[in-house]
Amino acid sequence: MPLRGIRTSTAARNGAGAFILQCKRLDFHYCNWAGSSKGMVTFLENFLPAFARENPQIEIRVSPRPQKHPLIKGLYINGREKPVCVRNLEPSEILKKANLLKEASGEKLKRTKKPVTSLNESVRGIWSPYHGDLRGV
Amino acid sequence: MFSRSALRSFASELRWTAPSTISSAPLQQRACLHQTASLMDSQQPQSQSSFTHPESPLSATPRAQDAKPKGIPPSNNFNEATMTPQTRADVPIAKQPVEPTFTSPLKVTKSMLSQLPHLAGQKPHYVVAQLHARPYLLTEGDHLRLPFLMPKVKAGDILRFNRASAVGSRDFTMKGTPTIDERIYECRVRVTGVDSEPLRIKEKTKRRQRHVKHATSKHRYTLMRVMDVRVKTPEELLAEGAVIVEDGEDASVIEPRS
Repeated sequence: MPLRGIRTSTAARNGAGAFILQCKRLDFHYCNWAGSSKGMVTFLENFLPAFARENPQIEIRVSPRPQKHPLIKGLYINGREKPVCVRNLEPSEILKKANLLKEASGEKLKRTKKPVTSLNESVRGIWSPYHGDLRGV
Repeated sequence: MFSRSALRSFASELRWTAPSTISSAPLQQRACLHQTASLMDSQQPQSQSSFTHPESPLSATPRAQDAKPKGIPPSNNFNEATMTPQTRADVPIAKQPVEPTFTSPLKVTKSMLSQLPHLAGQKPHYVVAQLHARPYLLTEGDHLRLPFLMPKVKAGDILRFNRASAVGSRDFTMKGTPTIDERIYECRVRVTGVDSEPLRIKEKTKRRQRHVKHATSKHRYTLMRVMDVRVKTPEELLAEGAVIVEDGEDASVIEPRS
């Protein structure tokens, strides 16, 4: 007998009822010595407390990463992570990057052509030649 | 949402000076978002109060009769750019959604009113919402990725699509001329975030030249989730102050499926 996965009874539709921000954690890495971390260190001192206070739903971790460029890493509910290198950036630019990570869905970036994706069945059903009245051509 | 800033300044003035001119209760902005689906019971006293003042046209069309905001003071440490508002208290009063103001009550033709129970009673519904003159066929729970980045919205915001060219169910469709009055149906969407596409690189070449220029682009898109699509019943419309008129040429019609 083949191994069967567990079938889910419902599909996740975040936002249809309750809404949960997809970003669950942000890791801030910096280096105390390197010049490329200068903006990051200023950001951590001046901007991060306010950012963390305004986003209580996001866990924030700050840790040094010596001899490396500064990095922000976002972790998402779907298990993916998104790292952004912020070397030589100004604190305001780093704040923009942090906001980008916060609002992102965590999915892999894809080009899509269709704006609407639906899990529902077609409302009007599928056309059938055997039903409905005849129409002249 | 495009002439919103003008509306907003107007509405905030109204709010501060004389909130009772538009609505019977002050600060009824919450009404724009939280709507009627589960509120048939709480509608009754409100609708009676609207019957007591039939001479003012706007009091005849209250958008929603539920939760009045409790006059929550806006928190001071709110930072626009970074914060995701959790409750209405986080949103400053000048930024709170503006209740739409209508100059005349909703006009419903007799034929439509007779057909409307069939449409309203048959679930699920779909709506063809127009956004920048593009149609989006939406049902409840759909995921919508707009082909542009919508300005001034944040994750968690709730929007109401109020331009629809058609609303329908399996067997009935209401078609607008060209749009349906927004008071007949309800289509709310929640902004869930911002997505971007993978980096696009286009090679730009000129003739007889070895140099190739690379033009890059990486657009960002707003993600949304449709919260509900609903058609109001005739009772609700009449309770909200709809006026029944004779059948005319340019009115929306409900067509059964042929």
